[in-house]
Amino acid sequence: MWVKLAFKLFSREFKRGELTIIFAAIALAVLTVFSLSAITERIGLNIAQKSSDFIAADRRLSSNHAFDPKLQTKASEFGLKSAQVLYFDSMLFANDELVLGSVKAGTDTYPLKGKITIKDSLTSQAYEVNTGPKAGSVWLSEGLFYTLNVKVGDIVELGAGVFNISKVLVKEPDAPFFSLSGNKRVLLSYKDIPTTKAVQPGSRVFHRLLFAGNEQQLSDYYTWLKPQLKNNQNWQGIKDRQSPLGNNLDRAERFLLLAGLFGIMLAAVAMAVSAKRYCERQYDPVAMMKTLGGSRKVIRNIFLLHLSLVTGFSIIAGLLMGFVLQTIGADYLATFMGTELPQAGIRPWLLSSFIGLICALMFSLKPLLDLFDIPPLRVLRRNLGDTLALSRLHLALSFMTIFVLMWLFSGEIVTTLILFASTLLVITILFGISRLLFAAGRKLGLRPGSSWSLAIATLQKRANANAIQLISFALAIKLMLFLVVLKNDIITDWQMQVPPDAPNMFIINISEQEVDPITQFFTDNNIAHEAFYPVFSGRVDAVNGEEFARSVSKQEGEEKDGETREGVNREPNLTWLESLPEGNEITSGEWFSGGEEIEVSVFDGWQETLSLKLGDTITLLVNEQPIEAKVTSFRSVDWGTLKPNFVMILSPNMAGKVPVTYFSAAKLQDKHTKDISHLLQRYPTVSMIDIKSQIEQAQSIIAQVSLAIGFVLSIVLISGALVLISQVQASLAERMQEVVILRTLGAKGRLIKLATLYEFMLLGAIAGLVAAIVSDVALLVIQQQLFNVEGRMHPYIWLLGPSSGAIFVSAIGYFMVARTMRQNTQGL
Amino acid sequence: MSVLSQLNVIQVSGLTKCVNTLEGSLTILSDINFSVKSGESVAIVGASGSGKSTLLSLLAGLDVASQGDVHLDGEALSTLDEEDRARVRAEKIGFVFQSFMLVQSLTALENVMLPAELAGDHDAKAQAIELLEKVGLSHRLEHYPSQLSGGEQQRVAIARAFIGSPKILFADEPSANLDSKNGHLIEKLLFDLNKQNGTTLVLVTHDEQLAKQCQRIIHIEGGQLEKISEGVAANVG
Repeated sequence: MWVKLAFKLFSREFKRGELTIIFAAIALAVLTVFSLSAITERIGLNIAQKSSDFIAADRRLSSNHAFDPKLQTKASEFGLKSAQVLYFDSMLFANDELVLGSVKAGTDTYPLKGKITIKDSLTSQAYEVNTGPKAGSVWLSEGLFYTLNVKVGDIVELGAGVFNISKVLVKEPDAPFFSLSGNKRVLLSYKDIPTTKAVQPGSRVFHRLLFAGNEQQLSDYYTWLKPQLKNNQNWQGIKDRQSPLGNNLDRAERFLLLAGLFGIMLAAVAMAVSAKRYCERQYDPVAMMKTLGGSRKVIRNIFLLHLSLVTGFSIIAGLLMGFVLQTIGADYLATFMGTELPQAGIRPWLLSSFIGLICALMFSLKPLLDLFDIPPLRVLRRNLGDTLALSRLHLALSFMTIFVLMWLFSGEIVTTLILFASTLLVITILFGISRLLFAAGRKLGLRPGSSWSLAIATLQKRANANAIQLISFALAIKLMLFLVVLKNDIITDWQMQVPPDAPNMFIINISEQEVDPITQFFTDNNIAHEAFYPVFSGRVDAVNGEEFARSVSKQEGEEKDGETREGVNREPNLTWLESLPEGNEITSGEWFSGGEEIEVSVFDGWQETLSLKLGDTITLLVNEQPIEAKVTSFRSVDWGTLKPNFVMILSPNMAGKVPVTYFSAAKLQDKHTKDISHLLQRYPTVSMIDIKSQIEQAQSIIAQVSLAIGFVLSIVLISGALVLISQVQASLAERMQEVVILRTLGAKGRLIKLATLYEFMLLGAIAGLVAAIVSDVALLVIQQQLFNVEGRMHPYIWLLGPSSGAIFVSAIGYFMVARTMRQNTQGL
Repeated sequence: MSVLSQLNVIQVSGLTKCVNTLEGSLTILSDINFSVKSGESVAIVGASGSGKSTLLSLLAGLDVASQGDVHLDGEALSTLDEEDRARVRAEKIGFVFQSFMLVQSLTALENVMLPAELAGDHDAKAQAIELLEKVGLSHRLEHYPSQLSGGEQQRVAIARAFIGSPKILFADEPSANLDSKNGHLIEKLLFDLNKQNGTTLVLVTHDEQLAKQCQRIIHIEGGQLEKISEGVAANVG
């Protein structure tokens, strides 16, 4: 019987706008979670796809020994696609020219992810294909065409086989980002390996099995594979962040996560405020209904139905708006990136609905219980029940809910804890400040009739309500400041990594005699270039005399740094240097002492892989000549830069002990093309590696993620503004009663408006100042803990916080009060 | 139960109300005894703070007594829990308040129907329309409280009080918020409807003139029943 009444009351309350804020708050929470998690998931999937492209697969298994065929058979049983790739060096011969090439042989399914870029001739347009060359033909990289003096259609001898050169190989998805052999690459069919006879027992070859499938299949397969992995086998996934942008993308994901958390927090505050306000506004009707004989059960049913209806409608509205928003956002990003973002799965739908439900239930639970408890006697004693308004249980419940929501959304306890703790800090500080301020205000000799004294008197009078308002303002401002600053920091950081004058061409294989004329060439043509690094290849053979293979354990984790991707089997590029290069930092030990002994500084990512410690002696095999070097330091390396980085740097006393070539990098423009080809003709052994595409890719990803961050930031800013508006609105009814009393007592409209303006200005400025202080402290922690960047203070937000708080809050407050004054004074 | 007590629709015996304050226990009402016959009109008068509103709240079962009891139409309120007291109110009591206490989101008609709907009676529309006609608001059925004047709102409240034909009507300063013209109109309406329906009226007021229109006047002073006098209506009735 109560249902009809409940629906009637609901539709009226809804029309009257009583439920608007509660509706908006839940819808906002759902919208924020949905759009952010959908966008994040879609960007994440896109990033994963791109990362997969980097390794031409979702996972790969590497070894210097052949794989048991059952690994591939089993993979197909698990529903995975697989491909096999073999790397080896072999001599190529054509037109009386002999050159050592880096050969990659792939099965028909190679590459599983990403595409191979080729050209039909040296001068034609590059395009992408899905598979490698057919049996009997090979694709050569551009450098080999010059060195061997061949063209497409010619014949080349590779080992014992004779092959037709069918395409110019521009790029494979999993080509090493920087490799000395970068310009002498050969791609052929796996079927042709026997023809070359280049792979014999004892040959130095490198095997890879590539796998692609969904996460479940991959994880099931790995569970099966893990116990059988051998020491020389290395399982790698896309989490290894093969791209030098890996760290940046990680930061972007974290930013989106944080933004999502902030969005939830803001929506939760809006929900808490609006639920409480709505219930308080129902105190009189409920007391009346009880007086008229309405049972507790009927009243409970009516309001629970209201809650269910508003929750249901707002979740649907939130999902719809979120869907539209994320579709627009994703479409925009897709247009910008020139690639379609993969569709998000069901998670955003479920997560956002669930969070909306939890929000509605938890934040309205205590206010509703209070509402059910309103005594009917309130009809006679008008303030009865008001004391229930500020309950510790409600606060505790609200905080707990916010924490659970954040944890649920992020799945990260550390991030959640940091944010939560900083929020609690804001609240504590503000409670203290509001108490102090209001106490101090009382002691001020107030000049009656001034706007300022009226503003301060009003602030004092509603100490509790103002404390809550102050906290919500500060929280909203804090979260907004936090994200704005973080966004600026992250983007500035990225832009610094790929500055406009970054080199776009690596020049390798420069002999000692060629260094001077090439330097001259650069100077003559006004080309900016880097220093010339001596480079040589060496294999890590033993540690402290113990053969390397036995001293290393197999890789279990997938969380490894980029440069270990070829594990310890790789012959790393080595150099010697006088001083520590840019972007490197000594993590333990000391830079070279300058003594007689050869010293080596090792990338700290390899410290664990090779079980190394300071003082160990590494035996390097350079051209089969053993070189012993003492480990005197470990370095962190910033792989995020597009500069050459070295796993091992030897002391300068290596000079003259091994043959080397030199390496440099330069920023070339299109106008230099002709001069460069002359240079290459003059020095045929010198090779150029064009990294323009890598730089462009890096810049495009940075732009894409910056855009996503801006988009997400705007959602959070809107949420923040809504919190401020809802909070001002919550106090409007009371304010209007005061306005009427003041007007009755003869206060001029201007005085009231100014008093409101000053009151909100004070509130906003205090909230903004606290927000700025706490944001800066929290930023220090977050930047160091979550983003691995150097934490720094941001003095400008100490000014930005209070001023933007004062302006924003006073503007909203002023306009809302002024509007209500126009509308309601007559009625009241 | 005696025949006399059956005729008494309200029987108050030894009614005491104490509240705890920071300074200790404060007695608001002390040992109040009186009875009200069915169909009788009684005014409770007293200065501000004398305890008359507290007495009304105890009589209507809105609050519970510290000692003593109130029998409403034979039911001892002290033996009932909040739900049962709500049931008694729904079945037997109508209210008119100083501040009208209309639900802002319901129209005049819906406000009048509200007690019936809360009691599960959804066929009260005809009765509600009739009552609104009686109070002269047949042209205001679909108006919301905010669209009505103070006098009109109180007339809606009076119509609401009579829906479901309650045995007892409690009115708390019904004309205090109105100008004298509207106030008199409301008072007249209240007494007329009361007479027509044969309802027992308990009226709390500080207005001596209004009190005199009742058959009996209960004077409360400092939480105690000072005296019970006869009103003008006693001679008429």
